[in-house]
Amino acid sequence: MPIFKTNSFILLIILMTSNLLGQKPRELLNKVQIKLNKANNYKVDIKIKVDLPYISMLPIHTKLYFKQKNQLKIETKSIAILPKQGFLQLAMILNDTVNYSAIFQSNEIINEIKTSLINLIPNNDTSDIILAKLWIDATKQVIIKTQITTKSSGTIKSEYIYGTQLSYGLPDIIKFTVDVKKFKIPKALAADINTSKSKKVEKKSGEITVTLKNYEINKGIPNSVFDKAR
Amino acid sequence: MLYKSTYNELLKIAYKPRSYIGLGGIVVIIAIILFAMKVDGSFYISLITGQFEQSLLFEGTILNGNLIAYIIIQMLIIHVPLLIAFVTGDLVSGESAMGTIRLLLTKPISRSTILMSKFLASCIYTLIVILCLALMSFVLSKILFDTGDLMVLKSDGLIVFQEGDISWRFFYGFAIAFLSLVTVATLALTLSCFSENSIGPIVTTMGIILLFTIIGSMDVPIFDAIRPILFTTHMAAWRYFFDEPLNTTSIVYSISILLIHIVLLLSIAFYKFNKKDILS
Repeated sequence: MPIFKTNSFILLIILMTSNLLGQKPRELLNKVQIKLNKANNYKVDIKIKVDLPYISMLPIHTKLYFKQKNQLKIETKSIAILPKQGFLQLAMILNDTVNYSAIFQSNEIINEIKTSLINLIPNNDTSDIILAKLWIDATKQVIIKTQITTKSSGTIKSEYIYGTQLSYGLPDIIKFTVDVKKFKIPKALAADINTSKSKKVEKKSGEITVTLKNYEINKGIPNSVFDKAR
Repeated sequence: MLYKSTYNELLKIAYKPRSYIGLGGIVVIIAIILFAMKVDGSFYISLITGQFEQSLLFEGTILNGNLIAYIIIQMLIIHVPLLIAFVTGDLVSGESAMGTIRLLLTKPISRSTILMSKFLASCIYTLIVILCLALMSFVLSKILFDTGDLMVLKSDGLIVFQEGDISWRFFYGFAIAFLSLVTVATLALTLSCFSENSIGPIVTTMGIILLFTIIGSMDVPIFDAIRPILFTTHMAAWRYFFDEPLNTTSIVYSISILLIHIVLLLSIAFYKFNKKDILS
């Protein structure tokens, strides 16, 4: 009980401080969300480049379909690897104003862009998300960087670079940083000739870079696109 | 003369029921693997991707003809030497046991040519077995499971090969697998020259493969020096073609070791066969 009281008190102080500083995190998030919601649906050519310590593959080119609120389809015959908390989770968090409390933390400069760091904390302990940190460019009302920590998938950081579709808040490049230190391949399953000479991987994190080109926004995408079995 | 003699040897192989045991075995085993993968392939996929699925999402068709072909070759290439030795270990000793060697050596043809024709016939039989394996695994898998990128699991991670980058790897993989099986065939043929019955060379060939495989797989420093020169170490060299980047030094080394074994064993066989007393 005393712990609960202390936590509530700290939360109250943080909320009060953020309001005193003149930052209204939910308002800012709403603006970002409204901008993103302008794109009701879109189709885009994507290039996925995987640079993870334990995975070797060439970049693949494919198409991504998205429809509000949470329909996503990556049309590929090739094998594509993406972070689990990829495209949908952020949209879901932004749309959920009931289950997450938004708290302003600080102002930070990222790549010469002034950003507001907003923490999203779940209101109940059943949520998979433990903490979501969003760095938002308040001027352009776009997300510059995120760091989402979940119970199931660990922490994944993402960086967003904008270009052609800034007005819709849609990025041209998304760079995911994935924690890979937990990966351990069972030797019994591995197909090696010299098992004793397996390489030591020292890198603990890797990157997945998704480049998005040729957006086709609000041109309509039939639901059947998302119905197809993967 | 060599051509006719080789043709005769091939006819002898073709008329022996045991020659079809290997081919039949391959067909049955591959059919079982294909059925199992069709019914429960997703379980196998989860074994491959399970380590990564906590953080990563895999899109696309992982369970495709290329992966099935890779799995089949990986499983079968260990057992195919037994099937090869079953036939080639009988080529000389079988004739000794039946007494036909006396008749064969009365022909106006040198012993070396006879042995060379037996060697060529065993190479052709091995090629037929490899082609059967390739046809059943690579072609039939693609028909049943469609094609796609190939995901290979190594002890230090996953390698994903794009669809257009796979066929040549299988081709050269089968080529080097053929070379390793020819090494086994030569070993069995050589041992066959020393024996008067069929069982001895076949069992000895399998015993040598088993012994060398155990030595090769034991992570003990004392075997480090001999491991690279054992032919069994290089029988899995086909997997080098599924590395990225391609380890050409290892491929050339493996091919050299296998060729040296073939030449050495064949030299011993020629020496023994030419000096052999026909007592049967």
